[in-house]
Amino acid sequence: MTTQHAGVRRDLSRRQFLTRAAGGAVVALSLPELLAACTGAGQSATSTTSGSPGGASTATLRVGWSSEPDVMNPLTSTTTEAVEVLQLVYDKLTDYDADLKAIPALATSTDVSADGKRLTYHLRPNVTWHDGEAFTADDVVFTFTLIAGQKSSQFAQWLGDMQSIEASGSDVILTLSKPQAFDPALAIPILPKHIWEGMSNADVQKFENPTPVGTGPYVFGEWKHGQTVSVDRYDGFWGTPAGPASVIWLLYQNEDVMAQSMRAGEVDILTEVPPTIWDGLGEVDGLTALSLPGFSFHHIGMNVSTAADSQGNPLLLNKDVRQALSYALDRNQLVQIALAGHGVPGSVLLPPAFGDYMLEIPADQQINADPDMANQLLDQAGYTTRNGDGVRETPDGTPLQFRLIAIESTTVDVRAAQLFRDAAAKVGIKLDLATMDENTLDAIVYGGTDWDLFVWGWDTGVNDPDYMLGIPLSTQIGGNNDVYYANLEYDQLYAQQAIELDHATRVDLVGQTQQLFYEDCAYIVMWYQDKLQAYRSDLWTGFADTPGGIVFNFTRANYTNATPV
Amino acid sequence: MRLPYLARKVLQLLALLFAVVVFNFLLFRVLPGDPTRLYARSGRLTPEVVAQLRSLFGLDKPLWEQFWIYFKALLHGDLGFSYTYRRPVSEIVGERLVNTMVLLAAATILVTAIGIALGVWAASRRGSKGDSSTVISSLVMWSMPTFWTGMLLLFAFGVWFQVLPTTGISTPLATYSSPLGPALDVGRHLILPTITLVLVDIGQFVLITRSSLVDVLTEDFVLTAKAKGMSKRRVVWGHAVRNGMLPVVTATALYVGIVVGGAIQVETVFSWPGMGELTYEAVLRRDYPVLEACFLLFAVTVIVANFLADMLYRVLDPRVTEA
Repeated sequence: MTTQHAGVRRDLSRRQFLTRAAGGAVVALSLPELLAACTGAGQSATSTTSGSPGGASTATLRVGWSSEPDVMNPLTSTTTEAVEVLQLVYDKLTDYDADLKAIPALATSTDVSADGKRLTYHLRPNVTWHDGEAFTADDVVFTFTLIAGQKSSQFAQWLGDMQSIEASGSDVILTLSKPQAFDPALAIPILPKHIWEGMSNADVQKFENPTPVGTGPYVFGEWKHGQTVSVDRYDGFWGTPAGPASVIWLLYQNEDVMAQSMRAGEVDILTEVPPTIWDGLGEVDGLTALSLPGFSFHHIGMNVSTAADSQGNPLLLNKDVRQALSYALDRNQLVQIALAGHGVPGSVLLPPAFGDYMLEIPADQQINADPDMANQLLDQAGYTTRNGDGVRETPDGTPLQFRLIAIESTTVDVRAAQLFRDAAAKVGIKLDLATMDENTLDAIVYGGTDWDLFVWGWDTGVNDPDYMLGIPLSTQIGGNNDVYYANLEYDQLYAQQAIELDHATRVDLVGQTQQLFYEDCAYIVMWYQDKLQAYRSDLWTGFADTPGGIVFNFTRANYTNATPV
Repeated sequence: MRLPYLARKVLQLLALLFAVVVFNFLLFRVLPGDPTRLYARSGRLTPEVVAQLRSLFGLDKPLWEQFWIYFKALLHGDLGFSYTYRRPVSEIVGERLVNTMVLLAAATILVTAIGIALGVWAASRRGSKGDSSTVISSLVMWSMPTFWTGMLLLFAFGVWFQVLPTTGISTPLATYSSPLGPALDVGRHLILPTITLVLVDIGQFVLITRSSLVDVLTEDFVLTAKAKGMSKRRVVWGHAVRNGMLPVVTATALYVGIVVGGAIQVETVFSWPGMGELTYEAVLRRDYPVLEACFLLFAVTVIVANFLADMLYRVLDPRVTEA
């Protein structure tokens, strides 16, 4: 879960995060970096004044982030930051290790029935909540039941097929109406019944949960609003005691300053580093700058709504036009120019961090960087320039002209939109670019169909392809489906992979799903942005190169494995 | 019958406040965007769930009814419940306001005191090298971007010399040996943001004071005072300054008003946990109750500061009374 910004909230907060990071990069162009270069002061900063390290487990790990959590209630929170804190406080039944492989947590093992509809979780004995109460199967049953009833929570989607959940001694039996490729145990934090019991849905919505009580490796410490959040190691934890005695997250309202503070020794890990700053940090002694594959993509969405009252440009319903737009654009150039090279050129719906689930499309079959092909498609469709203004028209004289919107604070998206506009102009398609704030763009895209093209991004809240593949479902129109794509064949392929328990078969189905959506070209996936982070390698060790990042990821292992140098 | 001056002023002030409340309420609801979208994108929500959320936040009611609920609560001192933080808005805004006030009090006192002193000093030496260099450096400082100045200071003293903290209002997880420790710690964190505000804002006070005083110093009563054989110091401070203060009082009132919202840049550079970050996040999230409270506060500060300036005029210069 957690994910980086990813999503779970994914989506939104992740998006905000991308936004912010990108904005910082540009505003900054980083005066201090320039100064550092001029004066050579960068080097001197490596001798740190921080007092953390030394003894094995008395050190505090200091993590810098650029946005605050919203609320410590996992059922109402929408920020990655809250998930990040809560994943150290709450346990799940099953968790991820530093390589994002599933490992036992509160459940020591899981039995799946032959038909895949019945999951039996064998619970770990002698686990206690941070307040001293004993953890029991009732807590698990309570949590699953509570979440299934809280439709607005980020976890409810994983319990849509739940038929029943019951305790049987120290086992919990989950019965589903159909098999589920993604085990909900990997996503759902187990909450203490003795604290959450008796709340109505409205109570839960208003519950601040100021001091969350869990069974995890860390006890919630203090949240100084607008400043810091801290947690302290739980001595009664069931597993291996965590490395850092405490973890504290520090809020930096400016990413340049965050990077400078790392040099000054005030912070140990940066959750997100703008590309321009990242390049400089890697050269500083004692710091390690990481570039890891990310669980996100940025895309150009095309309004393909077939609703009778759609106000989108009907020309986009022509697949040739959509493919021509896609052929016109050079993803490699986008990555080089907009991301300064810190990403992978985009193709299908799943980012490379998903490993074998991502469908590799051979370069010669990609709908990419081929303006000649774009011209050919448009010529064949009968769209040619008739009045000599360089813009193609349909036979009845309608120009190929579309509205393109982007989020102004997401600098990388605006840059991409400009490149897209220029690329489209070269094949005779005119794009009118407008920028706005994210919530406004959201309102335009989801509030109706009065738009043609937008630039935006997604990331995933779980380490499973299901979430991203689910975005363009026809049933998600009104939900996540941001292009009003509706294709029954797609829906069926999606449904098949979601219940397929055999990995190889599922990989194949997931591949077909991506292929279909790729060819339909309702999205132009522009790139998969690398996750840029940094840490004080002179002070801390024990971090794995986890896809998605050492922190702000689905796993808490890099927190608990951290060891002072 | 005409109401007494003070009563008229207070009535005007109340009418203005009401207008501000109405405007704030409408402004954010007229803008595109919707607070529930934040939740709609997390996970897979059905339109029914979005409707439930809207009803929870009271957004499903007609606008006039929403306003009435908001206004009634406001009269009872209840600023509402934050969509984002799920806490009472008064609590959230309260803790941020205190932090902003600490920063502003320090900056305002220094900016006005040093600014006026320098202005007076320059005016009384009009045309000298000291005067012209004061004017030039004031103009230069006035033109320096706040953000840039802050970053420069932060880099120099926080990163290069490492003598002052770069971020926040206190040292994280610090333990203090003396009871004065926490205050001293906040004091250390105050230094850089305060110096930044003083540097970029002092210029206007120097220039206004100087130009106002330069006028006054050419007036007959100043000549008379000099003719009576008074010392230069008494002429300037005892006679001229009080007469030259009216524009400075106006500038101070405006400054206090602007700075509650306008310290956002300094707060951002130094990650000061004040109103700036709160307002910024609330705009992004369309957290209407928090936004309304923040902007109401900004407006009240401006209105009250100007009201106080009006009152102070009458004390400083009795001629204003009849105006």
